[in-house]
Amino acid sequence: MKSTTPLLLETRSLHFRFGQRPILHDVHLQVEPGSLYGFLGPNGAGKSTTMRLLLGLLRPASGSVHLFGHDLARHRVALLDRVGALIENPSLYDHLSGRENVEATRRLRGVAAGRTAEVLELVGLTDNAHRPAKEYSLGMRQRLGLAIALLSDPDLLLLDEPTNGLDPNGIIEMRELLQHLCRQHGKTIVVSSHLISEIEKMATHVGVIQEGRLVFQGSLPDLRRLQTGRSRLVVETQDAESCRNLLPRLLAGATVAAPGTLWLPWLSQEHTAALAAELVAANQPLYGLRLEQPTLEDTFLHLTESRTAAV
Amino acid sequence: MEATLLPAPTDFTLLPAAPAPLTQLRRSLAADTLKLKRTAALRLTLLSGAFPVLITFLIFFFKGDIIMKTGGSPWPRFISTSWQTAGTLLLPLFVVLLTSLVVHIETKATAWKHLYAQPVGRGAVFVSKLLLILALNAVALLLFAALVLGAGLLLSVLRPKLGFVLATIPFETVVWMLLRTYVATLGLLAVQYVVSLFWRSFVVPVGVGMGAVVATIALLSWEHADKIPYAAPLGTAMAMKMEKATLTVAHELAKHEWYSLGWFAGVLVLGYVLLLRRNVS
Repeated sequence: MKSTTPLLLETRSLHFRFGQRPILHDVHLQVEPGSLYGFLGPNGAGKSTTMRLLLGLLRPASGSVHLFGHDLARHRVALLDRVGALIENPSLYDHLSGRENVEATRRLRGVAAGRTAEVLELVGLTDNAHRPAKEYSLGMRQRLGLAIALLSDPDLLLLDEPTNGLDPNGIIEMRELLQHLCRQHGKTIVVSSHLISEIEKMATHVGVIQEGRLVFQGSLPDLRRLQTGRSRLVVETQDAESCRNLLPRLLAGATVAAPGTLWLPWLSQEHTAALAAELVAANQPLYGLRLEQPTLEDTFLHLTESRTAAV
Repeated sequence: MEATLLPAPTDFTLLPAAPAPLTQLRRSLAADTLKLKRTAALRLTLLSGAFPVLITFLIFFFKGDIIMKTGGSPWPRFISTSWQTAGTLLLPLFVVLLTSLVVHIETKATAWKHLYAQPVGRGAVFVSKLLLILALNAVALLLFAALVLGAGLLLSVLRPKLGFVLATIPFETVVWMLLRTYVATLGLLAVQYVVSLFWRSFVVPVGVGMGAVVATIALLSWEHADKIPYAAPLGTAMAMKMEKATLTVAHELAKHEWYSLGWFAGVLVLGYVLLLRRNVS
């Protein structure tokens, strides 16, 4: 089924260089229609550069960007008519009011006049629309930027770190709004972030970029599986060394992290249960037995070390 | 696989029609005009003409009787003094500031990335801002001319002895001067516009412009001075002549004004080619 669904956004072997410095290597993004695609990577990995390439702001050294099945380089203006974007900090004119800021882009896109009030309402800025944008807080600016991106009711939304500067409440609101747009209105959304915690709460698909290479791309469950495969079981006991000698089979892959702590790769629930039972049977005190998920940093490090794209 | 199980055919692959170039330009202009609200560029346009007129007004108000000792109509003296005050330094500096300020509206808002991600071509963005600057430049010049005549008429009330009479205003000369001065500013306007777009900062184009204006003054006696776009407004201000106690100016473009037009066309084409395919960071 997957192969028959045409991709809404696709990059084919995208390369980008800044002067002589290579920034992106062979990036193959594949975004299916109706998905909420989380584009993850540490700062400086090439997220913003990729986003700019997707909008035709930068010209690729080689490769191509396809939106709605068409080459961006050939039909840029026509394709951008169906794209809303928020790149890094929102571009706001401080001398204009919030409403006038929306109005400027509305005129530029030739969108119906009534949309200005609608999008301001949608992001909850109606009451502050008359105030100059320079008085807006970081969170309000971000919301105004989102309102501007939503003006043309675009089929594709490209949002670069949209939760930057938002407080916890604002982050939740933004997340709910994006999920609503995706599920109820069938919008396709690409959201970049450096926080996996943020992405895993809303994304349906995830791409991970590191040092300009796409090191993982797939659905969120795919990423979860990859993470669980790398989970670690931590055993806390009296004497780690003697435990390992007592149970050589069950503790074959274990390392002694501290005199009373053992680390071993998580294998299965059965294995964990058996280990607990055997330790108790061998008269060893079991102070703690827990599963540790690798952190975002661990996952990234692992993904970059292996340099394999699990597409 | 049964056809009924296939997902409904999505029509997202239908390519929408891009807005026509003139529609893009109209939309860009509508947006750019709105962005002018409450900007320094707009205030500068509305107020810049007042300064040279005010100086000339004060000179005539306090020392007019000495200047007009020989009699005759004071209009030629009044108009040429105002125009030369404006043309030497103020008009080129005005054009430098105006172009830099208009372009800086986008730079200050970090809006270039936003602008170029909208469904308007780079050509529309380029032409729209250029038209806006050309219009503001024209408004400023017209306001200047209106202020000159208005100040003269005010003097006719405050200092009736000086002889500022409505009937003796050399209208034809004023109209030709307006036209020729406008043409004379076009060359440096284009250079400043492209410099502003290329460097996307406020300091660089203003620095380049001020430097060029000052250097031009030093180079005025050079035989190729008429080819420098920054010298053209002064050249035009000096083109007025007193003939038989009236102010006249040739009803045609002088060489330096043709050079100005040449700079305008050449620099804009070159700038557009340079900027068309440029990366936007």
